[in-house]
Amino acid sequence: MSFQIPIGPQHPALKEPISLRMTVEGEVITDVDMRLGYNHRGMEKLAEEKSWLQNIYVTERICGICSHSHATCYVQGVEKLMELAPPRRGLYIRYLVAELERVHSHLLWLGVAGHEAGFDSFFMYTWRDREIVMDLLEMISGNRVHYAINTLGGVRRDIDEGQKAKILEGVATLRKRSEYYFYIGANEPSFVARIAGVGYLSKESAIALCAVGPVARASGVARDVRKDDPCAVYGELDFEVATADTCDVLGRVVVRVKELLESYKLIEQMVKGLPAGDIAVKAPRKAKPGEVVSRYEAPRGENIHYIKANGTDKPERLKVRAPTLANYPATVEMLRKGFIADIPLIFAAIDPCICCAERTVTLVAAGSGEESVVRMSDLRRQALARHQNAPVKRNAVWPL
Amino acid sequence: MKLAVFLPELLRHLFKKPATVDYPFKKLAVPADFRGTPYLSPEMCIVCRACERDCPAEAIEISSVNEAEKRFKMIIHNDRCIHCAQCVDSCPTTPKAMKMDSLFELADDDRHKLKKDWVYVRAVLKPKAAAPATPPPAAEPKA
Ligand code: SF4
Ligand code: SF4
Repeated sequence: MSFQIPIGPQHPALKEPISLRMTVEGEVITDVDMRLGYNHRGMEKLAEEKSWLQNIYVTERICGICSHSHATCYVQGVEKLMELAPPRRGLYIRYLVAELERVHSHLLWLGVAGHEAGFDSFFMYTWRDREIVMDLLEMISGNRVHYAINTLGGVRRDIDEGQKAKILEGVATLRKRSEYYFYIGANEPSFVARIAGVGYLSKESAIALCAVGPVARASGVARDVRKDDPCAVYGELDFEVATADTCDVLGRVVVRVKELLESYKLIEQMVKGLPAGDIAVKAPRKAKPGEVVSRYEAPRGENIHYIKANGTDKPERLKVRAPTLANYPATVEMLRKGFIADIPLIFAAIDPCICCAERTVTLVAAGSGEESVVRMSDLRRQALARHQNAPVKRNAVWPL
Repeated sequence: MKLAVFLPELLRHLFKKPATVDYPFKKLAVPADFRGTPYLSPEMCIVCRACERDCPAEAIEISSVNEAEKRFKMIIHNDRCIHCAQCVDSCPTTPKAMKMDSLFELADDDRHKLKKDWVYVRAVLKPKAAAPATPPPAAEPKA
């Protein structure tokens, strides 16, 4: 006998709305159906109505955690379109913030993984330590979440000696803490037992399903844009692509902790080797007609922006492929043959950023499952009609 | 593998002070370059409208009050502002007519109370900068 269990769109185990329909046989999941579109915000359409400069702030708001990755990905692309060469100091600061962001995102995720595995003290310690990097980001950029450090042709703020010292000091503390977490991860038997073997994704399926980021790397696929297609500064820095071959949630934890350590290495190299010079060049207001695809390794995996210019001061089209979207097919594979109790853990292990990945919405009739496309004006008319035709509930009372 | 490797850390925390502060009573200091709320120094503004044009949130509104007197009104809609400080970057005057302060507790019970406005006469700085008048292309980052 098989049953269907709906999880979401609103569910305590999910932080953002998505609908997962699990077909289960007993406790075991046999099939998964995913429905997206509950958090569609029309970002791409909005981007077509804003200028190149304003769009930095629009793309930055695609995600609240990897805000810098979207802005960087966009800015990289536009700089290519405008044939701008940002000064090296600007690039160093840009990718320094990028690595700091990776640190904060991975620490956040480690906490979430601990929480989903029932290890809440781990969650609290990682989040407390995350404050160190948040404070560093705030010091550099003036804001904790939306750093807005990027501008077309470079960055907006410089780093002085005092800030450099503070960054190095913060990173030294964080390294010590992360090494301790690594030790905990390897030695706390209950934690390891909870996550080992959960959410299996073989190397072959990771490649076949185009998994990206830590999910792919935990299945032994050394795929990292920073190494494969080194943009700007990564070619001249020394770091390794962290991988694991256990192919499960444990592997994803290990990969992220290793990446933290690699990021500290990168941050130190960038701070110590920060070249002198300007931080930005002046950008034109218009871009020549053309198109560009920009890639960037976000904390969650490869982020792709496609930008098309038509010679005006606004993009003709901006298409965003957030890493979470690329990981959905692999998630379906991971959930299959898993247990119901593992759903939050497996789903959290891809580090989902659901509303970043929402690019369209479809209307699906609840009864028949039929899909349709409706114009906004029709939707509004329907809503008004429904409101007017609905009988007034005269005897409704406030229950208190 | 050992049992309860986390235990020493847990016990150590029994004797530590909380990591959080008592917020409404104690406040953390914001860093020096914190991006708080934008405000205008009207005596510097040459009404080039660069800030209005570049603001991604359409939070700045400049309107003419009296053409002859060159009197203008600027409204900053703090309910729309996303605190990006692009207006400060775009402002061409030195010192900047648009600046950010370090206020962050902006909440109010009505979004319209967050509006701030200034009515002022357009500044004419230096004889040479005979005020690039209203149309936008007069601003600094030009194509
Ligand atoms: S800070 Fe940003 S959003 Fe706010 S008024 Fe200035 S440009 Fe507009
Ligand atoms: S950019 Fe500066 S000078 Fe120009 S209108 Fe805005 S505040 Fe005034």
